[in-house]
Amino acid sequence: MRFIMMRVLHSVALLAGVSLLTFLFLRLAPGDFFADLRLNPQVSAQTVAALRASAGLDRSLPLMYARWLKSVAKGNLGFSLAYNAPVAPLLWGRARNTLLLTGVATLLAWLIAMPAGVASAARRFGIADRLIGGGTSLLLATPELLLALGLLALAVRTGWFPSGGMVSVAVAGLSLPAKIKDIALHAALPVTALVGGMVPVLVRHVRASMLEALQAPAIRAARAHGITRRRLLFGYAFPAAANPLVSLFGLSVATLLSGSLLVEVVMSWPGMGPLLLEAILSRDLYVVIGAVMFSTVFVVMGNLAGDALLYAVDPRIRTRS
Amino acid sequence: MTYVGTAASETAWTRAAANGPLLEVRRLTVDYTAHQAATRAVSDISFDIAAGEALGVMGKSGCGKTTTALAILGVLPNTASVHAGSIRFRGRDLLSLGESELRKVRGSEISMIFQEPAIMLSPVKRAGDQVAEVIRAHSGKSWRDCRREALSRLAEVRFDCAARVYAAYPHQLSGGQQQRVAIAQALACGPALLIADEPTASLDLATQLEILDLLQDLRERLGIALLVISHDSGVLARVATRVIVMERGTIVEEGEIERVFNQPRNAYTRSLVTVRPSLRAVADNEPRPQPRLEEPLVKVRGLSKRYGPRRWRKTFSVQALTNVSLEIPAGSTVALIGESGAGKSTLAWCLLRLEPPDAGEIYFAGRDLLKMPRQEFAAIRRKIQLIFQDSAQALNPLFSAVEVVSEPLDIQRLGAKAERRARALDLMEQVGLRAAWADRSPLEFSGGERQRLAIARALTLEPDLLILDEALTGLDLPIQAEILDLLGELRAARRLTYLYISHDLNLIAQLADEVIVMHEGRIVERAGTGELLRCPRHPHTQALVGARVEI
Repeated sequence: MRFIMMRVLHSVALLAGVSLLTFLFLRLAPGDFFADLRLNPQVSAQTVAALRASAGLDRSLPLMYARWLKSVAKGNLGFSLAYNAPVAPLLWGRARNTLLLTGVATLLAWLIAMPAGVASAARRFGIADRLIGGGTSLLLATPELLLALGLLALAVRTGWFPSGGMVSVAVAGLSLPAKIKDIALHAALPVTALVGGMVPVLVRHVRASMLEALQAPAIRAARAHGITRRRLLFGYAFPAAANPLVSLFGLSVATLLSGSLLVEVVMSWPGMGPLLLEAILSRDLYVVIGAVMFSTVFVVMGNLAGDALLYAVDPRIRTRS
Repeated sequence: MTYVGTAASETAWTRAAANGPLLEVRRLTVDYTAHQAATRAVSDISFDIAAGEALGVMGKSGCGKTTTALAILGVLPNTASVHAGSIRFRGRDLLSLGESELRKVRGSEISMIFQEPAIMLSPVKRAGDQVAEVIRAHSGKSWRDCRREALSRLAEVRFDCAARVYAAYPHQLSGGQQQRVAIAQALACGPALLIADEPTASLDLATQLEILDLLQDLRERLGIALLVISHDSGVLARVATRVIVMERGTIVEEGEIERVFNQPRNAYTRSLVTVRPSLRAVADNEPRPQPRLEEPLVKVRGLSKRYGPRRWRKTFSVQALTNVSLEIPAGSTVALIGESGAGKSTLAWCLLRLEPPDAGEIYFAGRDLLKMPRQEFAAIRRKIQLIFQDSAQALNPLFSAVEVVSEPLDIQRLGAKAERRARALDLMEQVGLRAAWADRSPLEFSGGERQRLAIARALTLEPDLLILDEALTGLDLPIQAEILDLLGELRAARRLTYLYISHDLNLIAQLADEVIVMHEGRIVERAGTGELLRCPRHPHTQALVGARVEI
């Protein structure tokens, strides 16, 4: 219990630190939301100053931070100048879309990578290993952007998949199953792009830790006891190889929110990516900070989840006396 | 006690028993291939094992004894292959069997136990399940039946509380318990031949006896043939009836064990048989003159240390040291003996300030170690060096040998770079390593050579006190003897003081002036070496002295 308390306290301190740094850096960067207005000769300097003052941008950093904290306490996370609305609901809607995309992609990527990595390690330098190794190298060498654009081109040429957005125009009139189908069709391409980016890295990790686990003396002993090859791979080596993979899984949860920014922008998926991009370009201060905070929360939770999972998976950690 | 054997193997058994030996190895030759160059590990050896017989294979490490065992089971590493010869088991040629046929033989008809049970059991599976796995692999019974059978196998290897052992993970068991689980695995399917590769080398003496006794008992009760591999004639004398002696891949001597041990014909055999120092010989010696000095080099007063419960978990706390006081005179050798968990290593760590003690005082050359500020202690630390048991793990494999030795100089920035290298090479030669090997990785040395390297490294800063924490454990006996000689020479040449920590009284008896026996964190006896061996007073010491594996 005390351990968990400590972890929560650490996390809160971490969040406070990250928010402070983000504030500081955004303030240090030149310009603000009204910088473009200032260039407009038809708008007087007084008007711009008044606008800045009404948005609270003329305050000192500590004061701004304090007001932001107050807003966080209220559950608003500040105010978006571009959308003229509180940040929290805005972010939450977008984050949900991103999570849908990245969650499905992460799950799929692991489901593909685990058997592929095991098969690759089962016969090192065998045919399967060479094929999988070649495939992952190719995918690794392909920039995610190129992959996304290629898929987009495919969608446009063939018309099999919608080429952007998350729902069809007429979605409101559809029944629930039809709605789900519609979203799935829209999600297919971005998910594929994300999976294509994740799988090669995961396969290499699975393969490497399986190879290491297969080297263990315990495997040699089990072989000498006549354990079948299948059990050796899945009953002995895979559990032994799980540790680094579980940690990796925790990390991949941590990047759920930020992982798909590029793909979302290219495929115009209404997630955090486009929102964050616009917010940064227009210096919509609180939206940027809010997005960073969301990601930080995920990093912290991902790590906690990884630790908890490790605890569940590895008896050496679980039963340490 | 009924072992489930299929009808087919019963007939094979009777047929083979009528026709000849259980296992017949003929002109076996095994090569290791590395970088396209083949090294012969086993060359042209032949031997038989009859049903129910116990054959010992003796030789130094690297003589090909383990390779032979792995070849019989068909589990040689990828780099090794059988070059020529045949291995017949119950009339079948094992070398001509396919992998899936061979798998059925492994673990059911021929099974094997290994030297280090700690790493030979899967760390993430319950001990009992690992036994059940073996039964499952050979019988196709339901998991429930396999588990039940595994539980009864555990009871057969003398676990009082088999159910508890079943549910334990290997790291929760002691070395002896792990080895017994491994034996239960090997016996799970009622094999006709059990290969035991150094089954006791990593265990303490009392446990060694227990395991050997168990093996002997299994042979007598179940009629299992044994192939016991060991470098230790004492171990073989306990279990084997016949012995073959291997040197560099060939059999140099073979015969009934009494004949071979009492009248070895071969000089190599003689060196193996006589290397074990007789405690009695030491005990009969006059006590060595004690190099007494006015001020002992190390003085420990009332040292206590408790490993507390971990911060956030309910765990046991262990009283590792209780009011321990001792003195180590300069230039002497003190042996600290006790079973694992007696607090020996904790004491060493306290001396090096790697663990803070709860109470007590430690003086080194008259200065209070514990109260000294950190910077001052850094200078003292150079004077106290520690040598570990497993040099393969203690030395950085990415360094070359000469870097391993010169690193302490590099850290302390003593002398120019070329000077440090020259000094390291000089030290390597002093401990009996060739300077030509300077650029090899530590892993390319044999166990004994590597321990010499560790000694050279410890000597670079010219320490006064050398703490040897199980520094000889795990090495072959002849190698242990060589290192012991080296330590003796170094002590004379450099006026070193040794604190030798071990569970094993045997070897150190030659070198030690004084023996301190620890048990559960307390010193239970201390005496001059000869005196202690002649009349051990504390029952625990008596057990340690009596537990020696006698030929």
